[in-house]
Amino acid sequence: MTEFDLEFLHVTKSFGEVHAVDDVTFQVRRGEFLSLLGPSGCGKTTSLRMVAGFEQPTHGEIRLNGRPVGGVPPYQRKVNTVFQHYGLFPHMNVFDNVAFGLRMKRVPPPRIAEGVERMLALVELPHVANRFPHQLSGGQQQRIALARALINEPTVLLLDEPLGALDLKVRRRMQEELKRIHREVGVTFIYVTHDQEEALTMSDRIAVMNHGRIEQLDTPTAIYERPSTRFVASFIGMTNAWQGLADGHDANGSVVVRTAAGVFLRGLPIGTIAVGEDVEVNVRPEKILLSTESPANAENCLQGRVVDIVYQGAYTEYHVGLPGGPTVRVVAQNQTEVCAPSFFPVDTPVFIHWTSRVTLVMPNERASSSVPHDRRRITNGDAGEAT
Amino acid sequence: MAVQSQEAKADRQSQQFLQPAARTSWRVGVLAFLHRVGWLKLLLFLLPALVLLTVYLVIPIIMLVVMSFYKSTMFGVIPDFSWRNYQHFASSTLFVGLLGKSVRMAITVTVISLLVSYPFAYFLARVPVRFKTALLILVMVPFWTSYLIRTMAWLPILGIKGVVNYSLLSLQIVSQPIEAFLFNEFSVILTLIHIYMPYMVVPIFLSLDRLDGRLLEAAGDLGANPLRAFWHVTLPLSMPGVIGGVVMVFIAAFGAYVTPKLIGGTSGIMFGNVLADQYSGTFNWPFGAVLALIMISVVLLLLVAASRITRLDAVFGVRA
Repeated sequence: MTEFDLEFLHVTKSFGEVHAVDDVTFQVRRGEFLSLLGPSGCGKTTSLRMVAGFEQPTHGEIRLNGRPVGGVPPYQRKVNTVFQHYGLFPHMNVFDNVAFGLRMKRVPPPRIAEGVERMLALVELPHVANRFPHQLSGGQQQRIALARALINEPTVLLLDEPLGALDLKVRRRMQEELKRIHREVGVTFIYVTHDQEEALTMSDRIAVMNHGRIEQLDTPTAIYERPSTRFVASFIGMTNAWQGLADGHDANGSVVVRTAAGVFLRGLPIGTIAVGEDVEVNVRPEKILLSTESPANAENCLQGRVVDIVYQGAYTEYHVGLPGGPTVRVVAQNQTEVCAPSFFPVDTPVFIHWTSRVTLVMPNERASSSVPHDRRRITNGDAGEAT
Repeated sequence: MAVQSQEAKADRQSQQFLQPAARTSWRVGVLAFLHRVGWLKLLLFLLPALVLLTVYLVIPIIMLVVMSFYKSTMFGVIPDFSWRNYQHFASSTLFVGLLGKSVRMAITVTVISLLVSYPFAYFLARVPVRFKTALLILVMVPFWTSYLIRTMAWLPILGIKGVVNYSLLSLQIVSQPIEAFLFNEFSVILTLIHIYMPYMVVPIFLSLDRLDGRLLEAAGDLGANPLRAFWHVTLPLSMPGVIGGVVMVFIAAFGAYVTPKLIGGTSGIMFGNVLADQYSGTFNWPFGAVLALIMISVVLLLLVAASRITRLDAVFGVRA
């Protein structure tokens, strides 16, 4: 009846004075893989717990499949959770753990056995039905937890940092597994994580959260390429930032910024930027090119000296010191030997240049969310009075 | 090698300048030796316990077994090897019947105190921490009172002129004081429940307090209402505490001797009383040894049964 499986309408959750979730509104389409990404304490887990029914919103409404779920206890919601701590019952074997949900619904035993078998096949652990959780590895336990949740055919599957307790290698495999399972079952996934790489690789859309608010909700590409706030730009991936004043606009719509060090940089404006406004210029390290000779017609070009080299195998990270300015990180693929670290040894005078299309100019006041807490609290207070 | 020589050098230096440090290095040497010989360290740690157990448990039990075959005569105990004491027990309806009655009473005490203690321990595990400590202390306070006083306290409560009868009389519910409250099986069971309940409350409380609340959240998430979450998650996971409490209360109640003697009258007498009589009354020590061994066997049987269940629990991963 509605194309949205999950809707948040002006949801606020306060614990005393603290707004863990602050006037959050968003919709999740059927079958979507949405990640809630943010640092710890940003409200992502609280949001998830409100969907599960473990917490009640202080204000606002949550709708599942179009229906408000206020006052509906967790055991009557058609959502299931995969916990970071797995939450498998230690006194039951794998079969009984996975069968738990169906038993609660009093499904006849033959159909339970069938369902468990299908789920264990889905998570590719068909042979562990008789084992106990402590006899399984962390990754296996999490697959069982996933099977235990999915067997109930939830409207929305909630995943609360499900791979957080696993080591890197297992985590990578599980990421692929989760994507495959998401494709196969077609259930809406809400995935909470603080790992930006995980969010970027797995999600259809990402909601970047900070201080209880959603800073940006968009596709991974848009989040990375066109972050709408300073917080998003700095939280997702690495970025080089310059403070400056907007000096004017040029013919192709770029903003010209005069940085504190007195150089001019061109970039695309985020929102409208007035001349003379306080701005921050952001550019990703991999968008910058290195050369020993002065490039022709570069939109942005700076001169500096290589101060440090971090060799990463597939790519190399160069730290380029600018006269009177910050150190700029430049990431270069080790594609040919011209790009190899030996070509730009430490102390080499280099030019760094990049286009205006990959440069983002944001007004400084929009960065309120990454500024200290006292300023933050004032805005929260205002919001509290308004509601 | 380099490290060793450095250590040696440091050793020499400390010996020259600092007497206490030198002593410390000697201790370190001993500890290092113990560390190398792992089992020796283990033995050293176990030694006090082993000595105590040998002197107060192993030797007495051996003596009991030996004495159970001795012969008791008018002139004292004579070493012998005869089964007569065991035959005497087996053919006596009095002793066998009393054994059965004591087991039955102990089971009653255990079951009732389990039914009373579980909800209490459950409540205790869920109150805020500051009340938790206070309430736990309240549970433990009777422990610091003499067993005798806790038993005797029931006399002025249940007696003919006791609190209960006085209340019933003044409320005119009865016209004559009820004598059936005291000096019978009922009063013994009631008192034993009162005395041993902490043994039941504390282990159940500990297992409930340790229970991971997130598992209940998971159960709720999977569609279990609070009652079913209790039945399928809380109860099975608190079984180690329940079994611990059951074992302790049963053993204590089964071996009760003072309580039935003081407030049991003739009908409330238990196996422990006739056992004690063999030593202090009739001076038939060999027969007392038989009764004691039978008592120990009953308790051992219970422990074996309980360890079966708890070992199963260990397999289930409830080792916490």
